[in-house]
Amino acid sequence: MTKQEAFEKFIVPIGPQHPALKEPGHFEFVVDGEIVTGAAIRLGYVHRGIEKGVESRNWTQNIYMLERVCGICSHIHATAYTLGVEQLANVTVPPRAQAIRTLVSELERIHSHLLWLGVAAHEGGFDTLFMFSWRDRETVMDLLETISGNRVHYSTNILGGVKIDLDEEKITAIRKGMDFLEERTHHYLKVINTDETFLGRTRGVGTMSSQQAEELSAVGPTARASGVPRDLRIDAPYAAYPEFPVRLMLSNEGDLHARFVVRMNECLEAYRLIREILDHLPEGELTVRMPRRIPEGETISRVEAPRGELAYFIKSAGGDKPDRIKIRTPSLCNWGTITSVAVGHKLADMPMLLAGIDPCFSCNDRMVRVNRANQPQLWSWEDLRLYGIEYYR
Amino acid sequence: MDTDTALQNARQLLEGFASEIQQPELNRLDFVIPVESLLKVVEVLKSNHWGYLSFITGLDCPAAEGAEAAGGKLEVLYHFAESAAVVTLRIRLPYDRAEVPSLCTLIPSVSIYERELMEMFGIQVIGTPDPRRLLLPDDWPDGVYPLRKSYQGFGSTSAEPQVEI
Repeated sequence: MTKQEAFEKFIVPIGPQHPALKEPGHFEFVVDGEIVTGAAIRLGYVHRGIEKGVESRNWTQNIYMLERVCGICSHIHATAYTLGVEQLANVTVPPRAQAIRTLVSELERIHSHLLWLGVAAHEGGFDTLFMFSWRDRETVMDLLETISGNRVHYSTNILGGVKIDLDEEKITAIRKGMDFLEERTHHYLKVINTDETFLGRTRGVGTMSSQQAEELSAVGPTARASGVPRDLRIDAPYAAYPEFPVRLMLSNEGDLHARFVVRMNECLEAYRLIREILDHLPEGELTVRMPRRIPEGETISRVEAPRGELAYFIKSAGGDKPDRIKIRTPSLCNWGTITSVAVGHKLADMPMLLAGIDPCFSCNDRMVRVNRANQPQLWSWEDLRLYGIEYYR
Repeated sequence: MDTDTALQNARQLLEGFASEIQQPELNRLDFVIPVESLLKVVEVLKSNHWGYLSFITGLDCPAAEGAEAAGGKLEVLYHFAESAAVVTLRIRLPYDRAEVPSLCTLIPSVSIYERELMEMFGIQVIGTPDPRRLLLPDDWPDGVYPLRKSYQGFGSTSAEPQVEI
């Protein structure tokens, strides 16, 4: 037997670029054979300097700027920002506007969760589920386009209200869409809970106890799948959530499977909530007048994005531009769980595990370089994915 | 726990450490803490299970034009959240001693926020386990901190064209 250095580390770098997925990120997994023994993150490949950029734009321009922080949860960014600025200006937004904001937030949550279901299924090698869920997601995308005119950046919010209204025709379309999606979601829940192959890839994988989730400051569905009752729509209701309360979706299993179940249950809850909002849509104005200059002060605006708590810190110096806006997105909290939870798992589980937190999913790679002694092997993300599927066959 | 009780508890726990307490909004308390007692304060919050660290904000407050340059300062805001209640620990730092201790021993997940604070504001976080860059490019020059007010971009000195709407 040839002599081998005892504690030689193999590092598998994943990232930063993948043309098919959203943002890029870079991970380094330290492996011992199959088992991951360490993980590190490097972000910033799509850093656009938005926090600096907002300081040179006025309050109105910044809605459009901030909506572009994310292409999946664009509406919730604008909502967090407008709620914060309205708070600073001491302006009360009409109830109809708040209800429409909430309605669009929930539609966005549905589209985001269905998108995630597809991505996560794909990483697990279940491409049929991926294609079905993305086909069904088109229903909610069409609805968003019908009511706002846009598929991605709906641009619903303005300071002091919303700029879209709902008429009978649109309400009927939304109801019809919800009925269809509800039926489909029940079907997906059945698949998730009964498909043997799928359960083999998800049950007991990436388990995080509620104590771990608390310690690692996990947020959103990732935390709720580990039994941490944390949901800002319930803890600190904003917009129209005080009038239209949501039910908390929890699971105590803490594994990947639980993250699927929690997100699908949240979709079901969203359908219920949307119907309730449509049933009791308040009448009245859509906007109130906002001052051009916002009084001096600081505020914190926290909302529940599809991925968890999104926090905005907004400071005004009394002018027509903000002095500072700090944005903390939920994915940033959940990255931390990856570096801890990955340890002890097989390399083949990494694609699923990464997808499991629904990171405004970055990364991953044209190329993975396996540093094995002197013969580096080059793997693409696709290779790693196939390796994972093959491993479990 | 409702918001008022949570805030009252926080006030009781932290009153002894703070040099200044403000309530900017109904659900928020703002404690100005000397940097030396930061670790102690976080430990008190943690051992009493008061909320979780939601995020860290860096602030650059340069001296007003015409005033003494020494008037300027950096601020680090640690926001702890318990349901709707938010407690902010505000640390004021002079430019020439911009250092805070790392919270990683108490809250491991804070590493990412500390790395961001270091590269964006040039605030040294003493003892953070991974001081490498998180967001800025590898070839970003040392000593240039983009979120400081003095940073106006590279190249031409003229700011971007003002758009009137």
